[in-house]
Amino acid sequence: MSRQKLIEISDSKKIGDRNMGEIFFKRFTLNQLAQHWIMIGTFMLLVVSGMPLKFPDAWWSPVIINILGGFSMRTQIHHAAGIGMVILGVYHVVYHVFVDKESLLDRKVWPTLKDAKDFWQTILFYLGKADHPKYGRYSWKEKFDYWGAFWGMVMLCVTGLIMLFPFQAMEIIPYAYVHLSTIVHTDEALLATLFIFIVHWWNVHYSPEVFPMSKAWLTGNLSEEQMKHEHPLEYEEVMRQMNEKGDRSFSR
Amino acid sequence: MSLFKKFHLLLKNKYVLILAILFSLFIGITTAQEDVSCYHCHTKVVTEFRNNIHYDKGFNCANCHGGADTSNASVISYSVMSGDFIGRPTRNNITDICSKCHVKETEDYKTSIHWDAIKKGHPEAATCTDCHGIHEIRAIKDPNSSSNHQNSPVTCAKCHSNKEMMSAWYYGIKADRFDTYKESFHWRALDKGYTLVATCADCHENHKTKSHTDPTSSTYSENLPKTCGKENCHAGVNFDAKVAGGLVHDKESLHTGELVFNKTNMDPHMKDYFLGPFDLAYWIAIFFKILTTTVIGFFTGMVVLDFLSRLRIHRRF
Repeated sequence: MSRQKLIEISDSKKIGDRNMGEIFFKRFTLNQLAQHWIMIGTFMLLVVSGMPLKFPDAWWSPVIINILGGFSMRTQIHHAAGIGMVILGVYHVVYHVFVDKESLLDRKVWPTLKDAKDFWQTILFYLGKADHPKYGRYSWKEKFDYWGAFWGMVMLCVTGLIMLFPFQAMEIIPYAYVHLSTIVHTDEALLATLFIFIVHWWNVHYSPEVFPMSKAWLTGNLSEEQMKHEHPLEYEEVMRQMNEKGDRSFSR
Repeated sequence: MSLFKKFHLLLKNKYVLILAILFSLFIGITTAQEDVSCYHCHTKVVTEFRNNIHYDKGFNCANCHGGADTSNASVISYSVMSGDFIGRPTRNNITDICSKCHVKETEDYKTSIHWDAIKKGHPEAATCTDCHGIHEIRAIKDPNSSSNHQNSPVTCAKCHSNKEMMSAWYYGIKADRFDTYKESFHWRALDKGYTLVATCADCHENHKTKSHTDPTSSTYSENLPKTCGKENCHAGVNFDAKVAGGLVHDKESLHTGELVFNKTNMDPHMKDYFLGPFDLAYWIAIFFKILTTTVIGFFTGMVVLDFLSRLRIHRRF
């Protein structure tokens, strides 16, 4: 992410004199934020319109379908949101592979050996046997979130498209795999839903550390306090770069 | 003496009482409506018949059951049971009655596997009344009709989910046809009130129901493209028949866990259920089940650990 601003210094007109001069650390670009917002929108629609079909015998299944406006409306919502998500996925890959000029190998999102160590250290920390690991730009949890979502998107989009066009798909693959898609699709969807609702929301909403929520998904920024706390290695790196430049406001 | 007491005394005379009862009975019978001569004894049946589409169109009991179509002056139904009276038709000759009017339908039915079974001496195989109802035959378009499009799964399941009937040696049909159909999107949509989906008769034909091994059957693997590609269904789709020739009642191969490693001599459309020598589809399904369970289990555990660790220490650094 070398081409983008690393920090942003708050504007007194917007935030007020009290916070004047406070440093915000740039975490996500507007592009990334927008992708996340579209992801939230389509994901929620897909969960609400899809789960009544995963659990057709549950008491809430017909309730939700009625709220959505009947079965065919449910299907249309699911298909429209699904196609939206497919487009988002394609855009994401195209943008970050072909448009973003930064070398693919330099991206900080790739898993490293440190992540494996951090992962183990986190378990030890939870058990009270080690210090909390110090994270760089992305912690192992965030990388797992990202790659989990990436894997899930690929699985869900491919199987979803197979189910949307079953007879076209059958020209290439046997019938068994069309049926298999329904199993993979719903299993992956359940996995994604539970992971988001339990694990991801714990990390960014419920956890006492960020409760009621981390505002990074709205502003794209982290405060200096949060930065020191959650990404100390990145904080040190940014500070070192700034000292080399000798100018705290280089990014403006 | 009051008028009431006079009347009371009169009724104490048992001859007067008997006469009064007989008179009212006589009035009741002679003023009865057309089908009512049967009504007095066959109350339930005639009540059902009033919901029958044939009743609306002006048919009466005698049109099917034979016998004299007499007026109802007679107290005794003896005259009704004269002539060509058949009473209760046997399961073998119900088609004879229906074919008097429904010629085309009966012809189609007589090519079906159900009729084959009846001919072979298994009268419990489905005949007209099993699907359309006996006395309560409603119009096909009536949503309460057992032969209405949307009710067809339940109607067929009356017999086809009956294990004893289906597993009898002379049928050997699996009794899970409805349960496996329930796995499909067709049923899930139908169950939630979206009726524009395929039910039993759409694929298996309503009257010409045949075994999927019969080359003239709509469910024969070579004919599936035509069946699925019907107008109003998946129309306009060109696809390779051999590819589509799978087992549409989904659940069985992937959920029963019956692994088939030796595929020699296997039905080609049975083979389509598996790719390569390892039943890949089955293992992929298992893989995703395990993946979901372990990932969610593990990370929920991590969240719980995180939470517990916060109870002990309030700050991380």
